[in-house]
Parts: sequence; C-alpha cells; structure tokens
Amino acid sequence: MRHVFVTMGTVVSLDVSAADPAAPLELIERVFADADARFSLYRDDSELSRINAGGSALLDASQELREAYELASDWRVRTSGAFTPTRPDGLLDLNGVVKALAMHDAGCVLDAAGCRDWTLVVGGDLLASGFGPGGAPWVTGIVDPADRTALLCAIELRDPRRAMATSGTAERGDHIWMAGMAPEYLQVTVVADDILTADVLATAIVAGGESMLRAACERWDIDVLTVGSAAELTATPGFRAALAVPA
Amino acid sequence: MRKRAVAASVLASMGILTVGWQIGAATAVTTTTVTTSGGTGSGTSGTSSSGSSSSSGATSGTSSGATGSGTATTGTGLTDGTYTGSSEQTRFGNVQVKVTVSGGKITDVTAVQLTDREQRSVQISNYAAPILRQEVIASQSASVSNVNGATYTTEGYLASVQSALDQATS
Repeated sequence: MRHVFVTMGTVVSLDVSAADPAAPLELIERVFADADARFSLYRDDSELSRINAGGSALLDASQELREAYELASDWRVRTSGAFTPTRPDGLLDLNGVVKALAMHDAGCVLDAAGCRDWTLVVGGDLLASGFGPGGAPWVTGIVDPADRTALLCAIELRDPRRAMATSGTAERGDHIWMAGMAPEYLQVTVVADDILTADVLATAIVAGGESMLRAACERWDIDVLTVGSAAELTATPGFRAALAVPA
Repeated sequence: MRKRAVAASVLASMGILTVGWQIGAATAVTTTTVTTSGGTGSGTSGTSSSGSSSSSGATSGTSSGATGSGTATTGTGLTDGTYTGSSEQTRFGNVQVKVTVSGGKITDVTAVQLTDREQRSVQISNYAAPILRQEVIASQSASVSNVNGATYTTEGYLASVQSALDQATS
C-alpha cells in the first residue's frame, strides 16, 4: 500500500507491504512536518530562519537543531569541506542532513509499529526494509541523467544495504562554470547501510569530484555509481554485484 | 568470496600489474612484470586459493622489497613457491600481492595489501572503476519497485563548496 504526501518542499512516497500492520501515517507525516517547521529556509517562522535572521542565537537553539548542526559540521570535517552546512553568505543550511534524519526517524517509527517490508522515498533518497513483492529483494531503478524518462540501471537492496541516495548537477550550466567548479559527475548514486551516509556522500562526491569519490570509497563502506560529464560510468565492485537480474 | 571478487576486479581493472619479486637465491633480485588483461593471464583470475584473506600482520616485514621461497625449477624459469611482491604505489593506493607459482606457472595472485591513504589496518580497498554501459543494460529490464533520481545540487551549494575550498587553500 502506497502513501504519498508533500512535505519539506518535496514528495514523500511510502510503500508498505499489505501483510504488515497498518503504518502509523499520522506519526510519520508529523516527523517530516516537525523537521520542516524547524529547519525550512522557505518559512520565515522556522527556528533555523529565525537564527539566520539574527533573531535568536545558535547557542540557545533547540536540542534538535544543535544536534543537526553538530552532525552537519562533523560531516564537513570528514569530507574536508566537500559537504558543508554553511552557505557562502554565511547562513546555515541544514537541509543536507535534515531530510536524511527525518527519513531515519520515520524508519524507526515504522520498525516500532511492526512494519517489516517497506520502502520510503523522499526526493532522491530511498530507505528500504525487508523484502519487496514476492519476497524478492527491493529493486530500485536509477534514472538516466541523459534521459530522465529512462532508467540507467536497476539494483537490488539487501539488508544491511538499506539506503540509497542519488545526487546530481542538473546540467553543465553557466552558473556552475562561473563558480569555478566544472562538474566531473552529472549524477552520483551512493548505497550505504544508513541514509545519512548515503545522502551526505552522494552530495559530497558531486561537489568534490573524483578526489572525493576516492576518499569516500576508501573511508566508508559504500557502493557507488557515477555518471560522468561525458556519460561515462564508474562503479564499485559492490555496486556491480547489486545490479538487478531480470526475471 | 567478496574479497576474492574484489581482488580479481582490482587486477582486471588495473590492466597491468607490476610485481617485483625475488626469485631463488637471496642475492639475486629480479624484477619481473606480470601483465594481465582482464583476467586472461594465466592463473591471475583463479579462485582456488585457500586462506586468501590476509590478516593485518600479513604485510609487516615484507613491505620493503620482496620475499619468497621456492623449490623446483622448471623450464619456464619460474621456481615453484609463493612470492610476496613489493608494495607498489598506484593511483588507487598501495598494492601488494602474493603470487603462487606451481609447475612453473603462476597459479594464483592474491592481494595482501590494498591500503588506503590513511594506512588503516590492511583490508581490501573499495573504489569505483570504469564500467561499460552494456554491463548495466540488462538490469534495466528488471521489474522495479521504485525509481531513484537526482535531487539536484543547487547553485548555492556549489558556490558554498567553492568558498570552503578557497578557505582551505588560502
């Protein structure tokens, strides 16, 4: 049974096996709504917007916000700045971790409710549990950045590889070149055991290019597929092994 | 099994693997180049080795130069035995392999050191190697439950990265 709702400026799609107990949908929606209310930069009344406006201090922020900030700062250090919560104008932008945190929390809610077989998709992120139709592993298609109506490939997600994130540069637009960053990758997909690692590293590799890709593959237990600016592909051994086999 | 698969793909994707090893007497050091091409080289893609997963102590004492011991010499000039190559620097990090020669032929090549730059305990490195589009095409026709596409990195984000890098280099 699929449940779709809009929050945090994107669409959430939750698919729970019919054999599972009813998913606590209200609670799950509230997880995302709370995150949106606290961290949205599109809402002047969010806690983060008030901090950015100088109306309140980070030191006085809620525990949730301080923890998200700490987490994002940790990742900035770990990725040598390829991932950062601070925008050039000095404003804080915690979206890089907030969506993944909300997905993680929603996953915990589903687990606690006794749901075993489900997928949760938010924007370019996916968190899966258990098995898909027919008891087979969940199979997820990855969009071809050259033709967004087509699939580039499809991979199986097997426990503990539950999380997957795809990030990309929309095109080799002028603004990117002007920023001095010729994008090496049009699209990067990272598969990991947890959604935060997958999300942060997919973003960091798009931003940091090949050196970040190498560092990420060395330091974290992840599977990666990259699509280069000339549509060339690279993949880790684990990603190759996860490629779906048609029935 | 995963380690074997990774090691095999490392060899295949590197294309050329340079192994320096010592053959025979301790004083005669010979550097030999083993060239593999997609695992077609004799024995280089074998999976019959037992105990191929190396412990962290496996490379200590062997990283400088090479070690080996052999017994019978055959017509190929290769002496049967097991040889640990020198630690080679590659763009993917240091690589050190162990080669088994039997009957004058290389029967197995196993990785004993594929380290990362942080010199963690020895383990198989993970990295993204080029993959042909035709290798992923078959998977396209699999029945999928979800589709995963990019959430685009914003202009502001990339600019932020640039500013961070500027700070890092100033």
